[in-house]
Amino acid sequence: MKKLIRIIQANNLFIKIFLVMVISIIAVSLSITYSSIRMSSNLFMDTFSITNSKIMNQITERFNSFTDSIVSASLEVDTNGTIKQLLQEEQENNIDQSTFYYHMTIEMDRIYAEVDPNDANMVIMSNNQDIFNMNYVKWPVDGEKLANHEMIQRVEESPNDIVYQFEDSEVTNGVPMIIASKALKLRSDYIYGYLFFSLTERDLKKFYESYTGAGNNVLLVTPNGQIISSNQEEMIGESSPKLLDYAESFENENSEYRNVDIFGQNYILLSEYIPSLDIYLVNLIDREIIADNVIDTSEIVLISIAIVSSAVLVAFLILRKMTVSISKLVNQISDMARYQFNKPLKETGGYETRKIAKAFNYMLNELQDYVQILMNTQEKQRKAELETLQHQINPHFIYNTLASIKFMIRQEKKEKASDTIDSFISLIQNSLSNIEETITVEQELENLKNYVQINQARYGDRIQVNYLISPDCLHLYLPKLVIQPFIENAFFHAFTKKKTGFIQILIAQKDHSLICEIIDNGDGMIPERLDNKTIKAKEKRQLFSGIGVKNVHERIQLLYGKNYGVEIDSKPAQGTKVKIKLPVKES
Amino acid sequence: MREKLSKKFGLLMVALVTAMVLAACSGGADEDGGDDTSEGDDAGITAWAWDPNFNIAALELALEHYDNEEFDMEIRENAQDDIVQRLNTGLSSGTMNGMPNIVLIEDQRAQSFLQSYPDAFYPIGDYFNTEDFAEYKIAPTSFDGEQYGLPFDTGVTGFFYRTDYLEEAGYTHDDLVDITWSEYVEIAKDVKEQTGQAMLSLDPNDLGILRVMMQTTGTWYTTEDGTIQLEGNEPLQMALENYKELLENDLVKLSSDWSQYLAAFNSGNVASVPAGNWIAPSVEAEESQAGLWRVAPIPRLDMEGAVNASNQGGSSFYVLNIDGKEKAAEFLGETFGSNVEFYQDLVQEVGALGTYIPASEGDAYQFENEFFNNQQVIHDFSQWMEEIPQVDYGMNTYGIEDILSAEIQQYLDGKSLEDVLSDAQAQAENQFK
Repeated sequence: MKKLIRIIQANNLFIKIFLVMVISIIAVSLSITYSSIRMSSNLFMDTFSITNSKIMNQITERFNSFTDSIVSASLEVDTNGTIKQLLQEEQENNIDQSTFYYHMTIEMDRIYAEVDPNDANMVIMSNNQDIFNMNYVKWPVDGEKLANHEMIQRVEESPNDIVYQFEDSEVTNGVPMIIASKALKLRSDYIYGYLFFSLTERDLKKFYESYTGAGNNVLLVTPNGQIISSNQEEMIGESSPKLLDYAESFENENSEYRNVDIFGQNYILLSEYIPSLDIYLVNLIDREIIADNVIDTSEIVLISIAIVSSAVLVAFLILRKMTVSISKLVNQISDMARYQFNKPLKETGGYETRKIAKAFNYMLNELQDYVQILMNTQEKQRKAELETLQHQINPHFIYNTLASIKFMIRQEKKEKASDTIDSFISLIQNSLSNIEETITVEQELENLKNYVQINQARYGDRIQVNYLISPDCLHLYLPKLVIQPFIENAFFHAFTKKKTGFIQILIAQKDHSLICEIIDNGDGMIPERLDNKTIKAKEKRQLFSGIGVKNVHERIQLLYGKNYGVEIDSKPAQGTKVKIKLPVKES
Repeated sequence: MREKLSKKFGLLMVALVTAMVLAACSGGADEDGGDDTSEGDDAGITAWAWDPNFNIAALELALEHYDNEEFDMEIRENAQDDIVQRLNTGLSSGTMNGMPNIVLIEDQRAQSFLQSYPDAFYPIGDYFNTEDFAEYKIAPTSFDGEQYGLPFDTGVTGFFYRTDYLEEAGYTHDDLVDITWSEYVEIAKDVKEQTGQAMLSLDPNDLGILRVMMQTTGTWYTTEDGTIQLEGNEPLQMALENYKELLENDLVKLSSDWSQYLAAFNSGNVASVPAGNWIAPSVEAEESQAGLWRVAPIPRLDMEGAVNASNQGGSSFYVLNIDGKEKAAEFLGETFGSNVEFYQDLVQEVGALGTYIPASEGDAYQFENEFFNNQQVIHDFSQWMEEIPQVDYGMNTYGIEDILSAEIQQYLDGKSLEDVLSDAQAQAENQFK
């Protein structure tokens, strides 16, 4: 998890840009694909439904001509005197019956041939349940079943009308068909026979089947909501009040077509009421299937997917290349501090990144050069400062010493005065005239001795100074005035409570270094005065030269580096130990 | 910099090409699909027949028995009248567009097609041996010395009768074998008297029974050279006399349509059914009458040379002279033309009795039918089939019959038989000159 977050953080830029890009590419292509499909399918639907409403008119026309022919055929039968007579006669024997059957068939054949109502079958039933069937195959009807069927009752209830109804019961042997029935009656309302026209659903379908296709369905719906015919065979016989509702309300509307939700799908509905048959002719168009036939949605989608994925791939590669190099650059820059700004950036990646890295490196180099120069200048300045300091001798020292000598002469201590003047002279000589920065241990020792001699001459012998110098050190070089300030310090500050004591000076080589130790057994310093083993930089007037204790350490490090310097160890009432570490220098 | 640009451009090109290839691929697939279907239409064989339970079932069974895997046939169901009408329209217009490769035609109509459109049909005599088929089937299916039709089912007739009614009237099976139609009328009278039942059911608009009687003597409405012979046609006269006598004595249960005809014997209102063997399944449909029926040979006319065998209905397959005719003929020859095993299945599964003589040796033909008192009905039919006298149905059987049926009404009304026949002869000659 942490790893994942780290990866996300590392690729933050890439992820942001890439996501925005992918989302916008997909959004653009989706909306274009969707709107183009929708627009074209809408356009197609409009034209399609216009064609279909014309087709509906044609189908209606066909139904009307069919019912017209039924009407004229039934008129023919109704007005046919032979049939009227034959059906009313009683047949006594085989001969009469034979004649009856023969003439009935002849008359009916004639009418049937004249009218020829599209594939419809014509049947006449006498009151004796004799059946005259013009096309037995179309409706193998049984007289007894037909006579007892409710259809007869319905016909008798309205003897003047042609009653249309849908049947798929026993009377039609389960074959769905539309049966038009009419009573044959005299003026006296006596019914002498029944006339039927049957049209099987299969033949009925021929009226509209050629106009249908996948997704373009035609249904015939009775006012009860029963679907009596359809090119979708599984729907025949089903009842759908909802569809009827739509069909009825469509009649009252003036729209070209209507979108409906039925049978769990979205359809375009066109409807027409056929009054002669008392049925609704409904055209259901499945938008999806029809549109799919014209608009290859999958192809469009496939193409957009291909384009989107290739665009995303290209974007991925290019972005990846750009952002990875930028991220690397950022990482390197944030690591900069760790490498003290002296490690240059790698100039890799894209054009932009390389340019940035180059500029950054250039800047870094410039900066480094500048810093170097600055440091050099500062060092030089420091050195100059120290040099001036070391060439200065505090004038007070000179007055005081000269004053001391004057007192010696007054007290007539000629010997002592002369020694002191000698020491003074060589001290001044070494300090002022020797312009070399470094001197040998031997020379330094001489200076120290002179200085100590002057001090002892002035302040007495209560502070003894011992020198323990390793002979192999005498020829080694050390900076001027590195030991003197500590001696001075010990003289004037270490012995304020204790009045007597001694100072020991030890110089020896140790571990390839020159170690000088100034140890006193004076008062020692309180810890507050010590800071990191050096004396706190407290402005204090130096008694001899301008270089004070606090400068020594700084000066050594300036000359020789961090490995060298001054360490001070002090314990109150026990004394102070100063250790100066210097490199071994033969010249 | 330049390198980078070209690299990017290359990537874009790759993307574009990929998209185009994808689009091209999907388009290509569609085209392939379209080609396949249209080829299928060209190569397929179509067959037209009527009656899904009989003729079409037989064709499907034949397809099952045909070993040729590449053979693909579409069987289309059409009403017989539609087939006749469409063939007439198609063949008379001279274009063979939309015509089937194989078509089933009723034997009595076949000559009208063969003679009217001799070039439209493909002679298939080379694909099977005509001698293997019942002789009476050859004349109607051939023309001008060429064999055009492959004989399918027989219309061999039988005298189906109710054993209970006839026993009640005092007749045994032996009394009913090899009788004449005059004897049949006499038996009918006895049955009416003893049981009160009619002897048979007839539809006055269907003169099939007259043709059955006539063919026992080998005569028809026309002679072999096509001359109409109604006047002085002795067998026809005799048949009409028998017909009138049956009606005059009220021995007939008349029916106005097919359902009444079937109801007459299924409801037990008639004692016999003299009809083609194809009526057997309809008789057997009434299971409550199992064991009450038997079949005797059809009565013959009381004339010299008459045999107790006749024919009613029956059809044969024809191959149209269009592309695929060799394939179609080969199919018919390999199945209906020579496959004994197929005929066994045909009898058992479809109930259709073919006219292929070698098939009668098979086991299926020896089947004892419980419904008919364990009679070997199929075997008997196949024996009678071989005896059916051959007649030339000519071109105008149904046309002549329309004229005849009008005249018969007058005959029943009392017009003399001579006048009836001579008037019919005159009308027919005028009509079919």
